[in-house]
Amino acid sequence: MERDFSKPQRESAFGIIVMAAHTILKVVKTMFFFIIYAFVKIGGSYLNYALLALAFLILLCLVYAYFWYLKFTFFLDKDKQEFVVNKGVLNRDQVIIQLDKIQQVNINQNVLQKIIGVYGLKIDTAGAKGEEVSIRAIDEVSAYNLKEHLLSGKYNVIEPASEIDKNLITVNETPLLKISSWTLFKVGLTSNYGQSLALMAAFFLYTIQEARHIIDVFELDKGYVKSTVLGLVTLFSAAIIVVILLIALLIINLIRTFYKYFELEISQHKHSLLLSSGLIAKKSTLIRPDKVQITKYSQNYFQKKLNMLNMSLKQAHFGQSKKGHEMQGNTLEIVGCNPMERDELLTMILGQAPLKGKTFVPDWRFLNLPIFFKLVLPVLIFLTLVYNIPEVKPFIGISIAYLAVGIFMIYVSYRRHRISVNQDFIIKTSGIWDVSNEIIMPYKIQAITTFQYPWHKGIDVGHLSLHTAAGQVHFKYGNYSEIKQLVNYWLYQVESRDENWM
Amino acid sequence: MPTDTFTNEAIDLDLLPKYEEISLNKPHSDYWKIICINLFICFIIGGIITGLGLTFVDEFKLHTISICIIYALFTSGLLLLFWLSFKKRGYAIRTRDVIYKSGIVAESTTIVPLNRIQHIELNEGIFSRMFKLGSLQIFTAGGQTGHLHIAGIPIEEAKNIRDLLLNKLDLIQNPIAETEL
Repeated sequence: MERDFSKPQRESAFGIIVMAAHTILKVVKTMFFFIIYAFVKIGGSYLNYALLALAFLILLCLVYAYFWYLKFTFFLDKDKQEFVVNKGVLNRDQVIIQLDKIQQVNINQNVLQKIIGVYGLKIDTAGAKGEEVSIRAIDEVSAYNLKEHLLSGKYNVIEPASEIDKNLITVNETPLLKISSWTLFKVGLTSNYGQSLALMAAFFLYTIQEARHIIDVFELDKGYVKSTVLGLVTLFSAAIIVVILLIALLIINLIRTFYKYFELEISQHKHSLLLSSGLIAKKSTLIRPDKVQITKYSQNYFQKKLNMLNMSLKQAHFGQSKKGHEMQGNTLEIVGCNPMERDELLTMILGQAPLKGKTFVPDWRFLNLPIFFKLVLPVLIFLTLVYNIPEVKPFIGISIAYLAVGIFMIYVSYRRHRISVNQDFIIKTSGIWDVSNEIIMPYKIQAITTFQYPWHKGIDVGHLSLHTAAGQVHFKYGNYSEIKQLVNYWLYQVESRDENWM
Repeated sequence: MPTDTFTNEAIDLDLLPKYEEISLNKPHSDYWKIICINLFICFIIGGIITGLGLTFVDEFKLHTISICIIYALFTSGLLLLFWLSFKKRGYAIRTRDVIYKSGIVAESTTIVPLNRIQHIELNEGIFSRMFKLGSLQIFTAGGQTGHLHIAGIPIEEAKNIRDLLLNKLDLIQNPIAETEL
């Protein structure tokens, strides 16, 4: 059954059921507690009414699904090489997708779709979060037919990072880079404290919550538990607890580092880099250097002394990026390489070693906002507290120390915040403890935003964000005329050439 | 050495077309009516809820006047904000990129090169259709923040822009596709 999808058509009529179920599920999900509450509170006498209301709700969903089905049409425009979807019950929405911009087409089946015997088809581009088009009910033949049609326009179907099987790995050449256990040990001691800290905090919160549940369930005497805990605290004294926590943090950090990066190896294949690492589950990732959007290396004070640094390669992140969740999956970390290995890798990925060009520094007004919001405001709040509650007075020294350390840190971040531009590279430097360098090539830029506060107009200060497929790069409080000039230059670079950014 | 190559380019820099000097199109004046309609619907719902609160909750009854004043201030403040944001918006289509300017306090300008557009969405809301307006969404691979949402364009013009952009996309992509094949 060959179909060419050139005429607008509806999905399978079973789609009404799928859509209705989907809507009901969504409504129930949002009103779950309300419904439960209603059933519990109303009691037996009004149960019939409650059920009636529920039935009405389901009917409403069915009607909605029917209209959705009527309005949902899709077709393939062969001449323009576009896939067009018209949808919307009250609104009229049209989604147009260029065939060769489609990243992936997923065909899947959930339980309901399996029972009815239809398939769901989702089309994903690198554009919006989530899938752009979701056809909920389509028979198997049409689904695969459509998939063929949709992907036939594509010239290279290579996943940005595809996991490959073991037998490919055996065809290994001498690795470009190999991280020894000793280096990993050093890495574990010096980096990623933040993530480990978050892990530990999450664990503690979880335990406390669970403990509370247990206390509630077994109706333990809260006062007793509290006094035991307090007794433990005084037994060990605060200082020892801090030391124990720090050691725990280091151990967790070490374990995490070894688990993730054990026997980290990088080797070069024909057009790609193969990264493999892992203690228990060995993970191999194959990436094409030209798909890397942002190349970053960072180093802190300890690492500088030990002559090593961490690199990360950020690739385009598709689909749901829940504030970094998905991005993690698309960021490849290379820990513990030395400057020579870094240069070698950078040359591999970028085609040439990046040179720093003209450097732009931010205005001193960079300091204002952070100093106000992170230092002055909290200290003021603290001082008013002190004024009202005399018991806190002995701690006033802490606020002074906080102020001093804070000012120093913000000043350091100001000194480090700069962007350097030459023909082929944009290098953004930033950081307080971990000093990171993010390298992007101008043709990887997707969009540029500049903005300025009205009170900065007179002094010619403004901000810049470069949007790439792997996240944004900001440069704040720069000279606005210079920024505008740079933007014009980058636009010229992006628009005058047609380099493939991925 | 790198500075040399850069200053070499810097002569070019001043001759490049300047995005900041382009005159921008404003959204259609009917779009303000749509904003008002939407806002008033929200206000009425909000008003009904506060009204119900005032009649049935005794604690609120004591402060009837102050609550009314706060609500009035809130609504007029919101109207003012939307008016300002409406006034500040502007868009322009150049041969090689789309420019969109917005922002109540900070004026932000976003530029999307045409050869980086992933796809385009044309939306017509229920009220927009009455006034024959549409809104154009331009998606790039640059994540949420790299998207453009240009609202309040006359539907004919929006369709023209859509076709223009899509044709442009074709022109740009075809040569690549041919060389790759």
